[in-house]
Amino acid sequence: MDSSIIEKIVREIEGYAPKNEGQHVGRVTAVGDGVVAIDGLSKAVMSEIIVFEEGKGKSLESAMMQETELYGLILNLEEDGVRASILGDSARVSEGMTVKSTGKILSVPSGDELLGRVVNALGEPIDGKGPFKAVTMMQVERQASGVIDRKGVSVPLQTGIKAIDSMIPIGRGQRELIIGDRSTGKTTVAIDTIINQRNEPAEKRPICIYVAVGQKESKTARIVEQLREAGALEYTIIVDAPASAPAALQFLAPFAGAAIGEFFMDRGQDVLVIYDDLSKQAVAYRQLSLLLRRPPGREAYPGDIFYLHSRLLERAARLSDEKGGGSLTALPIIETQEGDVSAYIPTNVISITDGQIFLDASLFNKGILPAIDVGISVSRVGSAAQTKAMKSVAGGLKLELAQFRDLEAFMQFAQDLDKETADRIASGMRMVEVLKQKNGQPIPLQNQVAALYAATHKFFADVPVNNVTGVETQFIQYMDGQHQKTLAEIQTSGVVSEESKKELNHAMEEFKLAHAELFSLK
Amino acid sequence: MEKAYAQALWMVIKKGMKPSGAIRAMHEKLTREGRAALMPRIAWAFDHIARRDANRTALTLTVADEAHAPRAHKEASHAGLDLERVENRVDTTLIGGWRLEGQEQLIDASYKRHLLAIYRAATHA
Repeated sequence: MDSSIIEKIVREIEGYAPKNEGQHVGRVTAVGDGVVAIDGLSKAVMSEIIVFEEGKGKSLESAMMQETELYGLILNLEEDGVRASILGDSARVSEGMTVKSTGKILSVPSGDELLGRVVNALGEPIDGKGPFKAVTMMQVERQASGVIDRKGVSVPLQTGIKAIDSMIPIGRGQRELIIGDRSTGKTTVAIDTIINQRNEPAEKRPICIYVAVGQKESKTARIVEQLREAGALEYTIIVDAPASAPAALQFLAPFAGAAIGEFFMDRGQDVLVIYDDLSKQAVAYRQLSLLLRRPPGREAYPGDIFYLHSRLLERAARLSDEKGGGSLTALPIIETQEGDVSAYIPTNVISITDGQIFLDASLFNKGILPAIDVGISVSRVGSAAQTKAMKSVAGGLKLELAQFRDLEAFMQFAQDLDKETADRIASGMRMVEVLKQKNGQPIPLQNQVAALYAATHKFFADVPVNNVTGVETQFIQYMDGQHQKTLAEIQTSGVVSEESKKELNHAMEEFKLAHAELFSLK
Repeated sequence: MEKAYAQALWMVIKKGMKPSGAIRAMHEKLTREGRAALMPRIAWAFDHIARRDANRTALTLTVADEAHAPRAHKEASHAGLDLERVENRVDTTLIGGWRLEGQEQLIDASYKRHLLAIYRAATHA
């Protein structure tokens, strides 16, 4: 045997001080579907962690073979016992088993060591890169910051998506809902936002936390790979509670993500947390609540389903300077059925958040990506955080697009339209093309500003509609190559100065002259 | 419904009423109200309460070897628990020492627990 192992064992034996203290225990009376009824534990508290004693009656050898201890979480305190959910394989629990109270409220590890790692809802690493060494334990359930500890949202969080940064800006500390039917690009918007953070200077770059709730393992693995390839994993933590995980872990995962994020926020850093998605968390919580025999309400959800989401999303905040000035931005995702935003869970979360980005399946099917319906998407606090540069170029964009959508219906009578309406439709169609963006390719702020400046100055008016996206890409490449100084100035100052405007106009003229063949409607 | 009746029956018996008298009185009341059919279910619920109470108040002292019982009794009595109605058991997997369980308390002074604690500390350190 390795001498270091022997030394370790000897050290442990020599330093071992046996204590025969009494432990507060109960006994499992019923077990099923991941929930146990326990007799005893009369001094237990809500959300306390309990340990199932599996070694009883087993030989020392087989007790040692048990990889990890099996934990449970107390969720119901009843007159004659408690009910708890099993945080692991429920097949390991049997009737009559002794359950020990730990006196500890559920906590998860957090710290720099977690960056680039994949953990489960209990904060245990599941990526095979070994255990954490120096971490801080953060309580999963924590009271959100109070009014005095907060300050207004004023710093932008760039998503790298033109349609969002220009019309539905998000600020650091905001809660912006991403909502839409299945396969409309909700996760893509969130992942692009994470990837775009690499464009931020390291000292301002937010720590990103992606919480996958009830997702397929293959999807999460693909996301991890995508983030790694984009160089975004180094500042990202993945909390994974897949569809195969017990309902209790799916319900806890968003809270674990928030707790991990709060560590960095308390340290004065900015954090971005994505909850993908809260509809699946609500379903997991409904399952758990029904098994715990809590009275069902609308759509069989328990009465506290609103509180479940409100207490989670209230933890998003921008802290005051006295509290370190850190922030936690939340981007919850909700999946709708057939575009029905008036269903129970979507309306709840819409009312809790500071705005929503609505992804429309019909736009997606038309090939307009990201399929953001700017008409019903809104950011209630983000405009205060929008950079002046973006504000100056995107001021009337939302209105212009809304008017275009209204006029779009008249397009079938195109021959009878007056000139003004026809121009507005033509301009709207080109604007829609400019706002199109491929997934996984977030655009830095200065490039977005340049593209939107060009679009709002009728730069693409002579470009055939189906060529607009290509011409815009070429123009941005041209700007990157020939007018880097102008872009850098916009990036550093955050405004489009008169000088920059002149430069942009000049660049547009130059580009037009150099690529005259692109600017012909024929 | 039957749980409430069983609970009431349990309470009056605990307060000192003779079980036979209490059951007769309840049966008469239920018959008067036309609910006599509830009696078997009340009996089942009563049995459940009684068993649960017995589990709560029972105390089990487990030793690895019967010969260790007197010493275990002595050590366990220092823990401040009432050992008058203790049930003795032998579990060889404990290797040595003793284990006292009941009344929502567990004192595990078995060698198995100590060895497991050392093993976990050495392997997880």
